[in-house]
Amino acid sequence: MNLRIILVGQPNIGKSCLFNALVGPEVTISNYPGTTVEVTTAEKTVAGKEIAFLDSPGIYSISDRSEEEKVTEKALFEEEIDGAIIIADSVSLERSLYLAFQVLEAEIPVVIALNFVESAEKKGIIIAHKKLSKILGAPVIPINPLTKRGIGELVNALLEIKETKGKTFTVRYDDHIEGAIKEVSSQVTRTQLPKRFVALRVLEEDADFYGYLRDKRKIEAVKEGLIEHPKVAEDIAITRHGTAAFIAKKVTQLVHVEEAARSLDERLDEALLHPLGGPILTILTFVTIFGALLFIGSKIQDILTGFTEYLLSLIHLGVGFGSAALEAGLAGMMTGISIALPYVFMFYILFTLIEDAGLLSRYVVNLERFLRWFNLPGRAIISLALGLGCTVPATRSTRILFTKKEKFFTAALLSCVPCSSRIAIIMGVVGYFGGKWLALSVFITLFVSFLVLGYIMKRIIRIEKKPVLYELPELPPYRIPSIGNIVTKSWIRMKTFVYLVVPLLFLGGVAYAGLGALGLTNVIVAPLSPITWWLDLPDAAIIPLVFGFLQKDLTGSMLLLVLGGKVSSVLTPLQIYTFGVAATIGIPCIIALGMFIKEFGFNKAVLLTATSILYGLLFAGLAWRLISLF
Amino acid sequence: MTEESDILRIVEEDILRILGEEKSKRVSLESIKSEIKVAYLFISNAIKELEREGLVQSQGDFIVLTKEGAGKAENIVKRHLVLENYFKIKGTKREREVHKMTDILEHYISKEVIENIKKLSTFKTEGIPLTKLELNKEGIITDILFPDYGLFERIVSMGIVPSEKIKVIYKIPDGMVIYVGGKKFVLGNDIAKGIEALG
Repeated sequence: MNLRIILVGQPNIGKSCLFNALVGPEVTISNYPGTTVEVTTAEKTVAGKEIAFLDSPGIYSISDRSEEEKVTEKALFEEEIDGAIIIADSVSLERSLYLAFQVLEAEIPVVIALNFVESAEKKGIIIAHKKLSKILGAPVIPINPLTKRGIGELVNALLEIKETKGKTFTVRYDDHIEGAIKEVSSQVTRTQLPKRFVALRVLEEDADFYGYLRDKRKIEAVKEGLIEHPKVAEDIAITRHGTAAFIAKKVTQLVHVEEAARSLDERLDEALLHPLGGPILTILTFVTIFGALLFIGSKIQDILTGFTEYLLSLIHLGVGFGSAALEAGLAGMMTGISIALPYVFMFYILFTLIEDAGLLSRYVVNLERFLRWFNLPGRAIISLALGLGCTVPATRSTRILFTKKEKFFTAALLSCVPCSSRIAIIMGVVGYFGGKWLALSVFITLFVSFLVLGYIMKRIIRIEKKPVLYELPELPPYRIPSIGNIVTKSWIRMKTFVYLVVPLLFLGGVAYAGLGALGLTNVIVAPLSPITWWLDLPDAAIIPLVFGFLQKDLTGSMLLLVLGGKVSSVLTPLQIYTFGVAATIGIPCIIALGMFIKEFGFNKAVLLTATSILYGLLFAGLAWRLISLF
Repeated sequence: MTEESDILRIVEEDILRILGEEKSKRVSLESIKSEIKVAYLFISNAIKELEREGLVQSQGDFIVLTKEGAGKAENIVKRHLVLENYFKIKGTKREREVHKMTDILEHYISKEVIENIKKLSTFKTEGIPLTKLELNKEGIITDILFPDYGLFERIVSMGIVPSEKIKVIYKIPDGMVIYVGGKKFVLGNDIAKGIEALG
């Protein structure tokens, strides 16, 4: 017999971390709330039973307001699940119980995993978990996913999760609400879900559940009957929270602990959230990251390039097309790795570091307000920040925005936010062959193009001017990141690079050799020569740009291939700059285009991709003309 | 026992209140009759008395407030509202009882007591929006006012509820960082305006 278990909990509560502890290092553990907007599934066999674990986006309550809530709600009620693990926060138990009560209202068997027990104890909070278990009629198990404390016990409890059905705690509402629940329940039909639960959802104005009613007009009648209690929904929420707080208090023991006069957290926040200092520190951090990336990355690139040249000098496969193609493939692969790998990998390590330390969420708060220039809601900054890693997941994350217009606008802006592969081009090609100042100029040009694009888009896509600012994101506590966590997470984000990009680099080289052998190079180069003319680049430079669209990491290696490795002697610094700009503005690659099609439909995606690439080429051509005036 | 003259005064005050609550300051005799459930004789006598004092005028089937009467009516309406609000303790919604108590007591209560009640009820229920709460001073949430249930529920489920302690720890442009139940949240001023607390 198999089990399907869903993990439910607030954002940033260690849900993904527990998921990892349960099934092995498969998912990204994020200290930044709102980065998981999908359900991840993984399976594990325990005592002859196959348990499928579903990790859901973090939510505070069952509702259909945000995308995270919609996804979790769907997983809870449309997937066939046997039970749920509610990850509860020992530091603020009542908040977790609120969500637990809602799941219990849906008569889904639960096991409560009590997390952060140690940090609660440090604050003088001790939870009597056995007492809580007795009250709830469900197992409550203290856990620590990092040390694996309680994981075995948790899994054992899951094997018997179905036993708890029907014996669990239910919130009792005021008589008038219970009366209304009863009346609405009698109208519920066509569903496996408990009638009481559906009635509650209906009374709480969750439109997804109206469909289960025999007669929708009945709700109005019920509400009219409650003329003396005009705010039923509010009453329900308040009672549920009140019950949660009452029970939490009952099982919580407070011990006095000496508190540090002013903790480091407070001082850090004071500096990082300062109205002026905050944004400055944010920008300084990113400049430092890029500086470190350029400095350390170029050292690694030196070593890798030397190694590549040595290796390639060893390989002489003889004459003939096959061996030439193989050689070109190997050269493409090795050069591509030397150019891209140091920067992409380092970037992910550093990005993960600031994310896990809890710094990223402060930076996001600092930058949010600037998005109002474009009438975008503050949370769009999350997508843009993710865009520094990879455009594909960043595009997917625009789902956390509210309207189609906002999503499209933000996704369009991603064409001017360099992803790690584009950062690698700027550093590994422009910086490596043209120097750090040239790389910096490309970054500045990208930033200007970002502002210009934002301004134009603001004119085209008219978003109602009242963007939601700071919609209650939680500021996670600062943490000292665990190295294991950072490596795992960076590796997961890097995986595509290794499994997808490395073979593509090889194929790119082979394809280039193939084009040369068939005499087809000119078929690409000649018709596109107006572009290279506009950019003042050698005709052959179009090859890396075209290949770059297939996979951005091909750009660097193809440039070296067509120029015979002698970038700095063939191209002037201004040409290196122009190439850098042209290669980095625009929807970066075919995978990103695929994601755009998925999110916005074929027509819009193709239109946006084509326009963004044209915009990049136009911008690059104008930029070098402008610079050469001086 | 209520004296006859007392009844007359009560009916007079009620008529003035009914007129004062009406925007046009003009009410039909018929609706006055249906609202004040006493013998018609008392009503007609009260109207005659009010006319004699120059507070109301009869216009066919309608009664209209004079300028002088409007001033007096306004005070009576205010008194009624203060009492009604005082009895309407948050959370309990026994409206009929509240109305009954108000309707009786308003005629017997002195100006001074009304003033005291006014002070008391502002002390009891009126918090100030978080945007005006002093920095780093612990307050207690008194009310959450949102027209949209979705946002309301989200806020409640995060533990931001009446009677919970709250502290505004930093102001940031157009927003603030609050500390509630051991957690920090960033809150835009637009949302913070809807959360009231006692400093």
